[in-house]
This record gives sequence, structure tokens and C-alpha cells, in this order.
Amino acid sequence: MDMTVYEVFARKSRGEPLKHIGNLNAPDDELARVYAFQTYDEEKWFDMWVVPRDRMIEVFNSERQPVA
Amino acid sequence: MAGPGHLGQSARDVELDDSLRDAVRDLILCLADSKRLLGMRYAEWILGAPELEAGIACASMAQDEWGHARLLYALLKDFGADVERIEHGREPGEYCNLAALDAAPESWPELTALNALADTALTIQLEALNASSYLPLRQRVQKLVAEEQFHCAHGAAWLRRLAAGGPAARAAGTAAVRSLMPALLQWFGPESQRATALSRAGVVGALPGDLRDRLLRRVAPWLTDLADPEQLARIAISYDDFDEASRRPRGTSPDAATIARIRGDKNRAFLMD
Repeated sequence: MDMTVYEVFARKSRGEPLKHIGNLNAPDDELARVYAFQTYDEEKWFDMWVVPRDRMIEVFNSERQPVA
Repeated sequence: MAGPGHLGQSARDVELDDSLRDAVRDLILCLADSKRLLGMRYAEWILGAPELEAGIACASMAQDEWGHARLLYALLKDFGADVERIEHGREPGEYCNLAALDAAPESWPELTALNALADTALTIQLEALNASSYLPLRQRVQKLVAEEQFHCAHGAAWLRRLAAGGPAARAAGTAAVRSLMPALLQWFGPESQRATALSRAGVVGALPGDLRDRLLRRVAPWLTDLADPEQLARIAISYDDFDEASRRPRGTSPDAATIARIRGDKNRAFLMD
């Protein structure tokens, strides 16, 4: 089955910016949620989010060149 | 009103007579032993799971189950039990775990069935203690149930994946579900005097038949293309050889090697007070 890389974000308390805390491989969103919780919930996070890496859109790169 | 006072209003604290005391103690031991064994079954797949993330999930679920087992064993102190002996000194025949956990699952589909169905059966029994008239249970059960949320989500997601994974995966999933389900339905026990007394005293918020129905209803959506929920509901359950106190078929037990590992025999020399 095709696996997707998901990036995982979480924050410690309400109003804090989301922090990137890692990534994982999963075949679909449903297992991505489960794996994120079971892998990264050792700390007590306020909330947690996953997003497929290929759905993240680069605005500019490390040379500060806009990405077409 | 918030706080413990509110909890106290939701159910009266029951005075347990002797027969009810035994029934409550047995129920706690059945849940604790089942969670201890289930934790070990999860742990056995930390290195054998089909992908790294699933192995990590098994490690996380094993930790949860062992934590729950420890907490439930500690409740047995109120019944005069020697908790140290219960955790480290019992023979296989004294264990009261769900019989489906006696043998290690031989394949990932079998582990998936335990994860989705057996873990959920334990959780449904726990949920029926959420408003228990026995205060020590009521105080602890909500935390345990909350921690179970992602266990059944993991099991359900994997059942669906087996169903979508081609003929071999689907057949293995179907076989695992069909062979496990009768033991789970039996585990809730007969509609006996004891079950009725527990329910009437408000210790358990449901009768065994209700719990069986809840299990069937909850898992039905996960079984798409693996098993017909209506067929599962028609499984005939026999209580001829069933011991109600241990919730096991009479004359069966986990094997000695499993219990030696559960008790931690090899590492006893390192146990400190």
C-alpha cells in the first residue's frame, strides 16, 4: 500500500504557536492520527495536528527565491 | 456542583455484602489479568509489526494496559488481597484473564483482531463501571476508558486496512475475527444471579446481554467486508463449562511460559523493596 509522509505539529497550551514535533509514515489519514497520538503523546500536549508533507506549499526556499 | 461531591450524588456508595464483595473482587481481577496479558500480547509485536509506526503503537498500548492492570490490582487491597502475590506469585491456573489471550497471536491479523475486538470488549466492561456504586472503581475507570480511545482506533483502522488489502489479507482478517468473537461474547458471562446482583446494586451499570449487544454494535462498522455482523450476533454461546468467577472455560489456563514472563520470574533477583 502507498505510504504518505505526514508532518506532526502540536502545542503546549492555548494560544501558543504550533510547533513541528516530527513526522511519520501512514497509509491514510485515519492511521496517521492514531500513529501521531501513539508516537508523540508522551508529553502532555494541548492539541496535535498532522498534515501530509506533499500538501505543504513552499513559499520561498532557503535562498529566499520565490517558488513558482 | 463540581468535584467529588458531584460524583457522590450520581450514585450511592454501596455497602457490599459478602457475596457481592466476592463478585466485585472477581470482576476486578478478571479485568486486571486480562489487561496484563493483553499488554504482553501487544509487547510481543513491538518488533514484528508490519511498519515501524505500528510497532510504536504496540509499545504505547502495552504501556497503557500494564498501567491499567497495576491500578486495578491495587484495588484488590481493599478486599484483603496480597497484591504482591497476585502480581508475582500465582500459578497459571489462578489467572482469570480472557481465555482468548492465553496463546500468543501467530499473525498480525490475529493481533489486529485482539486489538480491535478484545480490547474493545474490556473497554465496554469498564465503561459499565463509569457510574459504579463502588466508589474506588468509579473514581478510576474514567481515566482508563479515556486512555483506551486510540487503542480501538488503531484496531479499527487496521481491520479496515486488512479488508482493503487484497484476498489473502481479507481472508486472514475474516478468519481472525470469526475465531475470536465467540470467546468475547462468552466472556461477558451468563445472565446469572451474580450478574443480576451486581447490576441491581449499581456496581455494574448493565447486564451481560447488554454488554454483548454493545460490543456487536460498536465493532460492526469496522467489519465491512470481513464478517457479517448479523451472523456474529447469532453465534450460540454455551455456559456449560464456564466458570463464572474467573470468566473462563473450566480446566483451561494460560501456559506456564506465558505466566513465567508475566510474573517476571527471570528477573526476580533484581526486584527491590
